[in-house]
Amino acid sequence: MKKQLPFLLTLAVALFIMFGNYTFIGQKLQITGSIDRYFQVSQAAAFMVGAINLTRIHSTNILRRRSGYYNSVVLLLCLWAFFLLGLIKGNADKTYRWVYNATVVPMESTMFSLIAFYIASAAYRAFRAKSFEAVVLLLTAFVVMLGNVPLGDVIWRGIPVIKDWIMGVPNSAGMRGIAIGTYIGSFATSLRILLGLERAHLGGGS
Amino acid sequence: MEFIAAAAAPKQPVLGFLAPGVVGQFFTIMLLLLLVYVMIQRAKAGLRIPAIRKIPGLDAVPEAVGRATEMGRPVHFSPGLGSVSNPATFAAWAFLAYIAKICAQYDTRLINTNRDYLVHAINEEIIKQAYLEAGKPEAYNPDDIRWLSDSQFAYATGVLGIFQRERPAANIMIGYFYAESLLFAEAGHLSGAIQVAGTTNTTQLPFFIVSCDYTLLGEEIYAASAYVSQEPVLVGSVVGQDIGKILVFIAIILGTIFENTMKTNPLTALLRK
Repeated sequence: MKKQLPFLLTLAVALFIMFGNYTFIGQKLQITGSIDRYFQVSQAAAFMVGAINLTRIHSTNILRRRSGYYNSVVLLLCLWAFFLLGLIKGNADKTYRWVYNATVVPMESTMFSLIAFYIASAAYRAFRAKSFEAVVLLLTAFVVMLGNVPLGDVIWRGIPVIKDWIMGVPNSAGMRGIAIGTYIGSFATSLRILLGLERAHLGGGS
Repeated sequence: MEFIAAAAAPKQPVLGFLAPGVVGQFFTIMLLLLLVYVMIQRAKAGLRIPAIRKIPGLDAVPEAVGRATEMGRPVHFSPGLGSVSNPATFAAWAFLAYIAKICAQYDTRLINTNRDYLVHAINEEIIKQAYLEAGKPEAYNPDDIRWLSDSQFAYATGVLGIFQRERPAANIMIGYFYAESLLFAEAGHLSGAIQVAGTTNTTQLPFFIVSCDYTLLGEEIYAASAYVSQEPVLVGSVVGQDIGKILVFIAIILGTIFENTMKTNPLTALLRK
């Protein structure tokens, strides 16, 4: 029963969505729109599941005085203070927005900017010409990088043209091949879920 | 001067029940569905079906967990940023069930970090069940299944912190990833972890390819449950999807020929119906 009920629910919702998307009556009644709204509401309600998990783990850290437990204190304070502020004043409030813009936004930008350095270190490892494939990768990356900066055009007019060809023809062909396989794979996976063949998400192996 | 606007003709259902504009799409889906269903039935009947080719990324999972066991360090698993409505997350669950079972058998600590609350709740259930099936329910530690944040980079920061503190010996990333993919993969490399990654997001695949030991490309992640279990019915569905892929490629070639030789492309017209 523990596995059958979620399976039956999945099947019913999937058939309902298909009905809403493909049938004349379904589109007229805008069934999928209302399902989407229910999904958003359940997502928002599920926030508590995550917040409780975070609180449990970090409360244990504090109670057992694990190393760095003071970080847990800061985390719990920030989590619940910001949550309460939003709950009391709403997310359009000036203070709420100030806290968000002065802390979350710059911290996220900092993390995003780290990617530039990681790209350099990953590229250094990937571009070592150890095999034929690595040499091809190195040469291609070199041409594409040169083609993206004005220097490439100064060295030889053909570099940006070759870069455009690499990006537009072999790169797009490869990407689209993978994308088509992914879409069909997603479809077959959905079908396996609908038929109850894929059961990992119900707990336990397939 | 007066203009009389003609009222738009009300839309009529196609074939009595289908909405106009999705008929081609509907029949394409039905054809793919039929293909997968036929292959599943063939497999069920014990008829011969092609085997799945070797996927090194999947074969590397027990090796990665084994290495972590020998080193006495944990295994980290991330399903990425995908929500419960993303098919890549379902593929991640098949992996998680497999990895959790191996970790339970080897007595290796498994740390699972999550961004989505619902995915987190399901992951808890999958890992708990895997430990039960392995006969080691006492080894299950709910504190190792962590929801970090629903914000992309706050989640990434949390994962990087875990890499720094807990130094996992194996880092497995299967699911839908965005810009955090390279952050995870480089941090994993710095902590000396063996890394297996797979995503359906084509813009992130190059990052995984250059920074991980094994990468599963796009649809390969969907073959996990069939590949691991070798159950004929699941293998049949993978074969069905591959035949569907061949048909799509034939349609692309035909479409290219029609587009360049005919006034109106019949394939495009059919799909727009």
